Order: sequence, then structure tokens, then C-alpha cells
Amino acid sequence: MMKDIYEHLNDVDISETEYEEMAVTDLEKAKIKKRLRESIINQQKKANGWKKTVAASIIIIGLSTAALGVTFPAYASTIPVIGDIFKFLDPARAGLYDNYKEYSSEMNLTEQSNGIKMTINNAIYDGETVSLAFSIESDQNLGDNPYLHGLLDIKGAQGGTGGSQITRVNDNNYVGLITASNNFKHPSKNKVNIKWRIDRIISEVGQKEIEGDWSFAFALEATDNQTQIINQSAEHDGVIVNLSKISVTPMSFIVFYDQAVSESVQKEWHMVDVDIEIKDDWGNRYSGKGNGSLGDRDGYNMAWSKTFQKLDPRATKLIVTPRITRYEYTSENHGSVGMTEAGTKEMQIPEKPGKGIEEYTLDDITIELKN
Amino acid sequence: MRSNELNFIQRLQRQKEDALEFIIDNYLPLIKGVTYKVLSPLGNDGIIEECMNDIFLSIWNNANKFRGDSTDFRKWICAIAKFKAIDYYRKTARNVEFTSNQIERNTEQSAEETLIMMENEAELIKLLHLLDPLDRKIFIMKFFLGLKTEDISAKLSLTNASIDNRIYRGKKKLRNEAANLNFGGRA
Repeated sequence: MMKDIYEHLNDVDISETEYEEMAVTDLEKAKIKKRLRESIINQQKKANGWKKTVAASIIIIGLSTAALGVTFPAYASTIPVIGDIFKFLDPARAGLYDNYKEYSSEMNLTEQSNGIKMTINNAIYDGETVSLAFSIESDQNLGDNPYLHGLLDIKGAQGGTGGSQITRVNDNNYVGLITASNNFKHPSKNKVNIKWRIDRIISEVGQKEIEGDWSFAFALEATDNQTQIINQSAEHDGVIVNLSKISVTPMSFIVFYDQAVSESVQKEWHMVDVDIEIKDDWGNRYSGKGNGSLGDRDGYNMAWSKTFQKLDPRATKLIVTPRITRYEYTSENHGSVGMTEAGTKEMQIPEKPGKGIEEYTLDDITIELKN
Repeated sequence: MRSNELNFIQRLQRQKEDALEFIIDNYLPLIKGVTYKVLSPLGNDGIIEECMNDIFLSIWNNANKFRGDSTDFRKWICAIAKFKAIDYYRKTARNVEFTSNQIERNTEQSAEETLIMMENEAELIKLLHLLDPLDRKIFIMKFFLGLKTEDISAKLSLTNASIDNRIYRGKKKLRNEAANLNFGGRA
């Protein structure tokens, strides 16, 4: 067996003293752990035979200054074609968006204002969440993370949650993904009217703001979806998690669940969160993305939904593991007004006995899937 | 049973997830330091986070290839972090098709430093076994860990000229082998 790079790295001694350790917060550690867990789940799933083999090739080239000078300016003004923005932006390379493009509508709606061209390339509505893949061509540098100021509005939705991300593709070209989810408490609609109006693009470069008008309005029909009512729950130590329903679409499935936290736990911890992990009776583990939650003012009793990747059609059971995280609010993970020497008031975080971050899992909930 | 200072390597090699948590709790400041040092010029925190995730995932996946005690472990993961960070730096610089300032940055590097650009470094690693052990060590330090010739010569008690010479001959050999193996290599 040939040695690989990890074995070779046992033999080389790079002096670690040249590296300075950097400060790390508990929240950062928790984030890394969460993401890593998702990656491990994902690769276990792939090991189960879902992975497509990728043709590997090797190029060993001697790059010289001259070669660079000749070759690359030709590319510099060309926008690379990103075939599948959903997949390209998949945050953890987890495969969540693998089947989105296939079921989305080609939109190619373009709006131009102040030298910046915005295009909505693809759009999809799964009955719960609207996801728009877009691209931006700009005549000026907008930095690595331009911020689009404006609201993505689903008409008739009573509040909702969402998020967006943008990645620079090259020079002044970007692709992004924005999502917005309905109010989970109402039955989902088969068709939604969407308005997305951006009035400012804020660039990190010199904190520049470019005003303009990029407005989109269109209707989207929901992909096929089948909803199954579940109402099964698990409880431990004053936290109840109830799985209310599941909705299956051709490219994903969405699990709706509620959390309720007892008063004694509320007195002990500032915040309690529930996340769920799912595997099926074929050993597939599904990666997912939370759609956020709505609930009471204090944030203890919440309704959540989480979207998972395409369901394996062979699956007859889903095994859901609820994972509870209890947090202490600190100045690092909770917004509060900072103190200055002049004595500005700080928002008080009430003192509670629960310290740091604690995690535990509840008993698995097994769902029998109806076909 | 939880991981602690004494048992975490063993637990990691048995694929116990709490060992990974122990490693993140204890070594994240070091890994973050190495990653930032290499990748902060790209000015993209997303890439840094992705790289750190990849580093820990590689530690997890390759735990069985590690040999030694906790002091060696610190060195090993430090080398993995540097190797991955440099790999990300190269890939990112290539994915953005070289924006204009990166072209300038790249031309400042010697042709030698940019010599090996791989579509898939696993293929190059396969070729490494063709070199003798000393040359292999030099190549890994130079191309995978980005060490300067002076640093390598100091570590191996050789002269700069002899390091450069070995690199020159090694490159020639790899290039020929790559062509022979029809990897589509071109010089």
C-alpha cells in the first residue's frame, strides 16, 4: 500500500512555534462542531454508494510570467458560467441543493441600474420556502461580500424568515442565493406572488453605497408536495420536541417541529434550541438547513422547520434525533449595548445559573412514511 | 466515557466523535492561527471557515495514519492545517480565474513556487513515491507546506544549493513520469 500525504506528514517537522494561536470563542467552537458533524454525516451517506465518481485528472505545468501575461487577460472579462448556482453555493458541500436546479424554473429576469446588472436565474418554491438563485454583473468592485439592501416579500405571508449568501465568482461578478420562508403556522399555498426590491447595494470597499432600483415581481407555483401529519414527540429534562408534519417534494423534504420548554428550564437557561438530525432505514443520513423559527417573545416555545435533501425513494422509515442546545447569553453571542468610558448603559443580561453551552440528544423518534 | 489528554488519540482512531470535540476544544486556536496566516490575504472568511472544517474532517478521516504521542500529534495536525490552507489558497486563486491583482501577486512568485498546480493533488501524491525519501521530504515541505528553501536547508542540515538542485532534478523526474503515465501533463 502506497503511503499517502497524511502518512508522509508524520515525517516532516515544521516548527509549530512560528504559528501564533488565535483567540477562539465558545460560539465559534460550537459552530465548527456543528458544521463538522454535518460533513461527517454527509460523507457517511456518500460512502453508502450515492457518490458519483468524479473523473480525476492531473496537470503539471510550469507557469511562467509570460504564460500568465498571455493567457489570463483573455479570461478576465469573461463571466464564467456557473451551471448550477444552487449547487455552487451549497454551504457545507453537503448535497442539500443537488436536485434543486432540475426542478426549478428558469427565470432569467434582468434588471439594470447604475451600472449593476442583476439577474434572477432560477427560482423554486417548495410549498414552504422560496429560493432564488441570482447573479450580479457590476462595472465596479463591490468587495467580497456586497450587501443587498431590500426585502424579499412573499405576498400574504404573515412574517417569515430567510437568509442570503453571495460569492464572488471573478472580478466584479457574483452569484447568490436568497431564501424566504412562509409563516409556518398557516397551511402552505400552491402559488405565491413574490416581490423582491433592492434599493441599495452596499460594498465593503470604502463602505460605498450604490443606490438604484432593481425590482422583481413574479409568481411561482409550488413543486409537487405531499404532506403527512405526524404528531409524535420526545421529552427529556423539561424540553419537549413535537414533530408535527413532514412535506415531501421531488428535490427535498421539510420537517416541521415545535419545541416547548418548562418553566424550571427557562429559569435556568437564557436560550434553548432544538435541531434535528435524520437518517432512514437504509442508513442514509440527510443533510439539512434550518428555515428558522417563529414563536413566543422569549424564544423558548418555538415552531421550527428544516429542509433536508432529496428523500431516498426506498426509505420507509425516518429516524429523527432531536439535539437540544442550552445556551448562556454572553456579550459574544447576544446583542447588548457596549459600555463606554462615558458610561453608556448596557442592556442587562439577567443572571441565570446555566453556564456556557450544553448539548444533549433526546430519544430517537421513528416516523413510518406513508406512500 | 469522555476523551481526555491521555486517551483522545486512541479514541479518535476508534472514530469516537467526542475525541473530535476534544480536539476542537484544545487545538482550534492553533489551527485557526495557521489557517489565517495563509488564507487571510484572500480576504474571504467563508473560505477560511470551509478550510478549517476540511482540516478537522481530514484529521478525522486519516486518524489511523497518525503515529506518535500528543506532542507529535500537535505537529501532525499543524502540518495538515498548513497543507490544506495552502491547497485552498491555490485552488481559490485558480477558481476566480485570476483577478487582476492576483495575476500580479502570482507573477511575483518564482516560477518554481507555482510550478505544481494540480487538478487533483491525490494524483501528484501518487507520483511522490517515485522520489527517494529525502527528496520526497523536500518536496512535501516545499510544495505542500510552502516552506522556503532556507528553512528546509536549515531543518535538513543541507545547503540551499543542494536543496535547489534536488528540487530541480525531482521536478524533471515527476514531469517525465506524469507524461509517461498519460496524465496529460505538460511542461
